[in-house]
Amino acid sequence: MKGLRKGYAWAIVLMLIVSLLATACGQKPAPPQQTEQPQWKVGIVYDVGGRGDLSFNDMAAAGLDQARQEFGTKLQTSELEPTGTGEDREALLRTLAEQGYQLIFGVGFLFTDAIANVAKDFPNTKFAIIDSCPEGNLPNVACLQFKENEGSFLVGAAAALKTKTNTVGFVGGMQIPLIEKFEAGYTAGVYYINPKIKVISKYAGTTSDAFANPTKGYELATAEYQAGADIVYHASGKTGEGVFKAAAEQKKLAIGVDADQSLTAPEDERPYILTSMRKKVDVAVYDTIKAFTQGQFTAGPQYFGLKEGGVDYSINQYNKDMMSDIQPKLDELKQKIISGEIVVPTSMKEFNDTFKKAVGSSGH
Amino acid sequence: MKRRWVSLGLSLLGPVSALLISAILGAFVMLAIGKNPLQVYAVMISYNLGQLDSIGSIFYRATPLIFSGLAVAIGFKAGLFNIGVEGQYYLGAFFASWAGVYIKGLPAYIHLPLVILFGIAGGVIWAWLPIYLKVKRGAHEVITTIMMNSIASAVMLYFIHDVFMDQNQGTLGAPRVRMPPIQPTARMPTMLGFLHAIGIDMPNYVAINWFLVLAILAAVAVYYLLWRTPFGYELRAVGQNPQAAEAAGINTKNIQYQAFLLSGAIAGLVGLSDVLTYFGYLDIDFPKGYGFSGIAVALLANNNPFGIILSSLLFGFLERGGLGIQALAGVPREVTTILEGVVILTVVTVTAIIGRRVRAYERHMAALATAAEPPIDTQAPGRGQ
Repeated sequence: MKGLRKGYAWAIVLMLIVSLLATACGQKPAPPQQTEQPQWKVGIVYDVGGRGDLSFNDMAAAGLDQARQEFGTKLQTSELEPTGTGEDREALLRTLAEQGYQLIFGVGFLFTDAIANVAKDFPNTKFAIIDSCPEGNLPNVACLQFKENEGSFLVGAAAALKTKTNTVGFVGGMQIPLIEKFEAGYTAGVYYINPKIKVISKYAGTTSDAFANPTKGYELATAEYQAGADIVYHASGKTGEGVFKAAAEQKKLAIGVDADQSLTAPEDERPYILTSMRKKVDVAVYDTIKAFTQGQFTAGPQYFGLKEGGVDYSINQYNKDMMSDIQPKLDELKQKIISGEIVVPTSMKEFNDTFKKAVGSSGH
Repeated sequence: MKRRWVSLGLSLLGPVSALLISAILGAFVMLAIGKNPLQVYAVMISYNLGQLDSIGSIFYRATPLIFSGLAVAIGFKAGLFNIGVEGQYYLGAFFASWAGVYIKGLPAYIHLPLVILFGIAGGVIWAWLPIYLKVKRGAHEVITTIMMNSIASAVMLYFIHDVFMDQNQGTLGAPRVRMPPIQPTARMPTMLGFLHAIGIDMPNYVAINWFLVLAILAAVAVYYLLWRTPFGYELRAVGQNPQAAEAAGINTKNIQYQAFLLSGAIAGLVGLSDVLTYFGYLDIDFPKGYGFSGIAVALLANNNPFGIILSSLLFGFLERGGLGIQALAGVPREVTTILEGVVILTVVTVTAIIGRRVRAYERHMAALATAAEPPIDTQAPGRGQ
């Protein structure tokens, strides 16, 4: 009996090895697919666990896709993602640069130092970083930064105009200044419409996992709905999936972020997404590639606000009926921000110290 | 003498066959995504061994894992499962950073050792509560250290974000959540100067540093302590059979107490290579997970300090190779993570199975030997938990 079992085990191992070798040997070297050499090589490094968030990182990917469609075989691309620890980001950026990639993106502020280090070693390679900017005015680094507070102001106003309970909620990912910018803009938008509306703010966690934790998003949003909020805005990456789930369950409303999330959420959750604060990372990535191919790469900080069309609220087939009555008001506010009549705070401190006083307690 | 070589061979049998099996299993993962496994392994090997920066990076990546593996192994040897290395090294890194930023005006030869001591202190402090609760109240250290890990993560964010955040950052981007830069006198230098002096032309961006040497020294020290001192003997006795140790007059609780604090002290060193050499500041992106990797490292090495050095290098090799096959062979990041998981799982399973066989074989041999010539040490070398 024992001998038989052993025999089986060996047979299986042997089969595995044979099939392995067969497959390995059977694979012919891939025929050269492209008749012409690619003209440009563009690489992108997403943030840890980033792809599939239907939000920030996927937006960057969408920008790259758009460029691929336009330039076809003239554009060779590579998409990488670090596994986590300290050196990974730098190692991936460096490997791309060594492979002759001419324009390399780092998606997210965590790339700040890594991009600065590699950019200094590869002065002829162009780099672009989203949401941050390394010190020292590097001549080959473009900094693509967004005025998330301005877009958040508009969705905050939308929430304030739509709420029936005079309570709205916010779910952030990790409590860092970048995410607080969303919170401050949102809170200011609510306050501007009606200072009496209460904003419940919660953050999902203390590590970068806070952007990839739908369960936590679900718990926080459910708690906010149960505390009386009828609209919850999230700025929490993949964690937001849980916020939408909670909204659908409670038959309340949620506001998406980065992408137009009405389009990517599951069918049954779409009616509960009021709108999304579009942060057009795709546009920034695409524009940067386009400019690069035209020899017009610009280094240094570039800001994408309402004026530049870098942020906005979204209208689509799923929410247009819900939004139609407040759209004129939102567009009026948008103009006021663009003209500088409304200055949207970038942090909660600014909101409390200056914005509140400027608006007064009566609202608009 | 001959028996020693036989048992050394037998103890290597587990890890080596585990690696072969995981390579085969990994090949199936790659076939499943339509990659040629032989080609992928070739890329991995040429990327890892064909360029100096990769070799330097492997040693740099192994450094924290050696400390972490040693910390876990000391716990295992004393019969304690220190899952809390993770949290202990967060605290160690924070303490060291604090001393590196705010203690000023010291020369490097005092400041750097002081900062390292602060790191050790951080690890010890975070290890103290779980072992206190265990010895005094019987609370299981697995539960308490897991809880302490979560607390450490939150405490660290609180310190970095709310108390000690760098207020003098540039105005170009949104302020980053990090502490002020550590002073140059507290930074651990890289080994590049030394390597260049002995003719190895390591590129200047590689972060291989003197913590590697410290880690190897720590491994030697742990080996000496565990196998060449009375304390080590008692520690292993407690780990293998607390009741028997107690009956033999060993103060079991006291030994466990000391062993756990020692484990925490070494854990306090885990994060320093990254903070004091590569980053130069503590931020929210500080590498996480070394504590958990350390458990796998220690298991793979069967808690042998020298084996821990080797298995740490293996982990460094896999991590670095994961980047290589992602960038050069188009294997997605998720798949490289699966591959690492496959290796760890196989290694742990196979070493356990083979280890059991080997022990049975050795018992058998010992029984034969005892029958022939009385008293002999029946203790199998490097026995795990």
